[in-house]
Amino acid sequence: MARSIYNTDIHREKLESVSSDILRNVRINKGFIIWMGILALALAACVFAYTIQLKKGLGVTGLRDATSWGMYIATFVFFVATSLVGMLISSVLGLAGVKWIRPIARIAEIIAVAFAAIAGLVIVSDMGRPDRLPYVFMFGRFQSPILWDVTVVTTYFFVSLMLWFIPLIPDLAIAKTRLNGRPGFLIKAYELLSVNWINHDRQVKIMHQAMRILLILIVPLAFAIHTVTSWLFALTPRAGWDSTIFGPYFISGAFVSGTAAVIIAMYFYRENYRLSRYLTNDHFEKIGRVLALVSIIYIYFNINEFLVPAYKLKTHDAIHLRELLTGHHAMLFWSVQLLGLVIPVILLLIKRMRRPLPLLLISAVVLTASWFKRYIIVVPPQEHPYLPVQNVPIEWMVYKPTVIETAVTFGSLILVLMIITVLSKLFPVLPVWELAEEEASAKGEENKQ
Amino acid sequence: MNDENKLKDTEDQKIDDALESSRRDFLKKVGLVGAASVAGAAAVYSGYQFEKKKHSRGTVRVLTDDNRLVEVPVEEVKDIKRELKVLQTQGREGIKGKKWVMVIDLSRCRNARKCVNACQAAHHLRPYEYHINTLEMQESVNTPKFYMPKPCQHCDNPPCVSVCPVDATFKRQDGIVLIDNERCIGCRFCMAACPYSARMFHWQEPMNAEADKEKAYNIELNVPQKKGTISKCLFSADRVRENSLPYCVSACPNGVFYFGDENENAVTNGTTKETVSLNELLEDNGAYRLMEELGTKPRVYYLPPKNRIFEFREGEKKEYREETT
Amino acid sequence: MRKILAILIILQLLSVNMKAQEWVVPDDRKGRLSTFPFDDNTRSSGQKIYNLNCMSCHGTPGKSNYLNLVPPPGDPATDKIQHNSDGEMFYKVQSGRGQMPSFRSVLTSDELWQVVSYIRSFNKSYKQQFRAVISSSAYPGATINMTLALNEPDSTFILTAWADRETGRVPVTDAGVRIFIHRTFGHQAVDEEKITDKTGKAVFKIPLKLNGDSLGNVTVSARFVDEDTFGTASKDTVLAAGIRTYPVSLVKERAMWNKASKAPLWIMLSYILGVLIAWSFIIIVLLKIRDIYITGKYIESAESEKQNN
Repeated sequence: MARSIYNTDIHREKLESVSSDILRNVRINKGFIIWMGILALALAACVFAYTIQLKKGLGVTGLRDATSWGMYIATFVFFVATSLVGMLISSVLGLAGVKWIRPIARIAEIIAVAFAAIAGLVIVSDMGRPDRLPYVFMFGRFQSPILWDVTVVTTYFFVSLMLWFIPLIPDLAIAKTRLNGRPGFLIKAYELLSVNWINHDRQVKIMHQAMRILLILIVPLAFAIHTVTSWLFALTPRAGWDSTIFGPYFISGAFVSGTAAVIIAMYFYRENYRLSRYLTNDHFEKIGRVLALVSIIYIYFNINEFLVPAYKLKTHDAIHLRELLTGHHAMLFWSVQLLGLVIPVILLLIKRMRRPLPLLLISAVVLTASWFKRYIIVVPPQEHPYLPVQNVPIEWMVYKPTVIETAVTFGSLILVLMIITVLSKLFPVLPVWELAEEEASAKGEENKQ
Repeated sequence: MNDENKLKDTEDQKIDDALESSRRDFLKKVGLVGAASVAGAAAVYSGYQFEKKKHSRGTVRVLTDDNRLVEVPVEEVKDIKRELKVLQTQGREGIKGKKWVMVIDLSRCRNARKCVNACQAAHHLRPYEYHINTLEMQESVNTPKFYMPKPCQHCDNPPCVSVCPVDATFKRQDGIVLIDNERCIGCRFCMAACPYSARMFHWQEPMNAEADKEKAYNIELNVPQKKGTISKCLFSADRVRENSLPYCVSACPNGVFYFGDENENAVTNGTTKETVSLNELLEDNGAYRLMEELGTKPRVYYLPPKNRIFEFREGEKKEYREETT
Repeated sequence: MRKILAILIILQLLSVNMKAQEWVVPDDRKGRLSTFPFDDNTRSSGQKIYNLNCMSCHGTPGKSNYLNLVPPPGDPATDKIQHNSDGEMFYKVQSGRGQMPSFRSVLTSDELWQVVSYIRSFNKSYKQQFRAVISSSAYPGATINMTLALNEPDSTFILTAWADRETGRVPVTDAGVRIFIHRTFGHQAVDEEKITDKTGKAVFKIPLKLNGDSLGNVTVSARFVDEDTFGTASKDTVLAAGIRTYPVSLVKERAMWNKASKAPLWIMLSYILGVLIAWSFIIIVLLKIRDIYITGKYIESAESEKQNN
């Protein structure tokens, strides 16, 4: 009576089949250990690079007085952007009642948690005095976007973590009796984290309440996190950054990179975890449409961002635009805009291109281009300040990332991958209870007819 | 059916009660823990005070800041880096009643770079690390080239200070924008925000780091310089405190710089030491400020390069090779 | 010596024709002499002053490493500069011209003579003439004094100079006088050089924008231009001649650029409220998780009780 769901045969049967499909992948196997081992080794090399930076100073990077923000800040922006997809999928689409996002929502939250968690670390790697990080909280200035950014990134990370965890509770309860042969600590963790979930009506009700709060809370938070990040640039009087549309420009761009990241993860889980029954062609078809839609919105903001100053050609805007469109950064700029945005949109309008494999390839290109897009936003505006850069060594005039800097950047990416791996290998990547319910009610409908 | 509903209602009620009582317990626990920790802290503190008194080892005589001789218990004598504390307090406050202002006469600059050298010597900087730099300028194709010394503009609406997350860079009551490298976290947001590119960062160990290690940090001189922090022009806050002209101003051989107090409406030329009326100097020469349109309100005025007394020579830009440590 | 001087003057006149902008020194200054003899001490003091003020353009004397300027500054060891009389040299360094700055406010008479002493040390054939005794005062045996007063209606300063002799007090007439306002880094000249009249008075116009302190006070000091003749009498007087200036701290207002405690109130409030609201929701959600836990525990125990019964 109390355990109202799963009390029919259909439900029980579906629960068994879904849970065996999904929980099959929850295990610490050889592949997992080797993969984590490789990541850890690579990470050790990157950490070593960072210790060199700590010892010798930021001079080991290509950064100098003229271009004082480079790869690190670009990566930070990229990570924050990518993590925004959690809000887009769970909240915007979820609250709108879109059903097909059910199996994807948790994947989106995994991406959000991983990227948001490491974004803060990337900022630390860019600091000249990382030992003074606590000063931000001790002496924080309300007027500085950095205080807001640090606060909002932390909050967003917590809320994303909750959005991942709370729908996981029923799954943990379902899984804890079905984890034979897994290590004891994992079973214990499941026992602890499932917080006495017995699928009672009352518990379901409380969970829905909690989820509703979070899903609403995450919307302003996500807007805040990326708007504040864009203000790191837009609040300075530099040509190329001094723009009023930077907030929406960044947010629309964030949805592009985040959606691409989710698609890549979906493809990986579908193939590697053999979940094509749940991550169907139809899901790819639909999220492909989402990618096309957000990319078109982003193109629209790009047109605004470049066409308006290009029409007026104010002195320093003109220098900046010339460098981007025909100068030093032209190759990169056009590759990013065409390969990473325009051509993907055209391809995505073709139905065949929204199948899993083509969509994966498109997303991989889009995601890579997204990183370079952040690089283009961050670096070129610094290379031509209002007053000329003179009487300095040649390295001080042109920014060229170094090996150490690249290694540290890769280190942050490796950390993201490690978090994603742990979250998707030790816990179910798809919502068992929701999918079982869905399949059962579909079956029920069928039976009625 | 009715029965079942009723049963469900009573069960709901029971769960509500259970939640309610657990919540009460929880609050009680929070309250208890809070009260206990407050009481505990108070007990520990008073015990500590008592112990301190009990183990008194007599008194010592101490001379206070205002020259009084007082006796204090030995235990209460704390070694503080007095010098650093004084330097920090006075450095952050600034000099009361002053409003420093600089005037740079572009018609007199011949790119001697004596200002640059004097500044670098005073602040322990490498030849290519600048608080002040002399630039070769040309506004547009048909206008003449000229040299422009460029210190920090010490804006009254400083974009660099606005963005600082930790109050490391700040504006003082006398208008000087300083940087506290004991506070700076090295985020370089201020560099990104400064439209005059007036700030520099210590990308590596500063030039005199080893020799300066033991010195008390003087916020008005920014020495010792520190790796991983920002440095910038300070309007020689240490010198103006002693009523002498900034390093760059007095080093110029060509009378380019004037410096003074806006409240006095008077500025003094660093080379000829002539003191003139600020408003007359600005009016007579058609003075302007850099990038007025940005609303930064600089405290540095420029006199246009009209009737220049030195010719502009091409190719005087310096080439430096970066030192590696 | 006279002959040499005459020849020099003729040479100079000739060169005036050759160069349009010859640097002419007033006649009464040409013959001016140092009041002390040049020796090693004066030379070394002179060298220090030279290195600090002159070397950046003129280079090291005798090495011809002066700057490549138009007109060239020249090497002080060469004839071009050595042909000047002591008085001319003194005058040129003191007043400056074109690219050469004036050192009137930088160096005292003694320091200027020390520089001349140093420059002359590169001239083997130079023989110094000096004026051993201070030229007799215009008012021998008298103490010379001056006062300054403010004439508010006319907006002028009135300087009165007099000499006290045993026979009585007489006005100091026909003396060049200047007055200065004390400023942080130097003395600001007021009006021009004036000559005292028959009553020993000179009148100086107060400039329009003369800033004083919060009471309008300025410290004014007066001096004779020709201190050799009239002595170094000077007078510092505090007069309420300036515009009252009330210094305002530049960090008084709340602003984006001010320190954290001086942030605009709305931004402080938005931050604090934002953080409070967001985190109270997060805490509510955490409590909800706790509720899930309690509910589960309660029901489990209730059910096991039921079974036991």
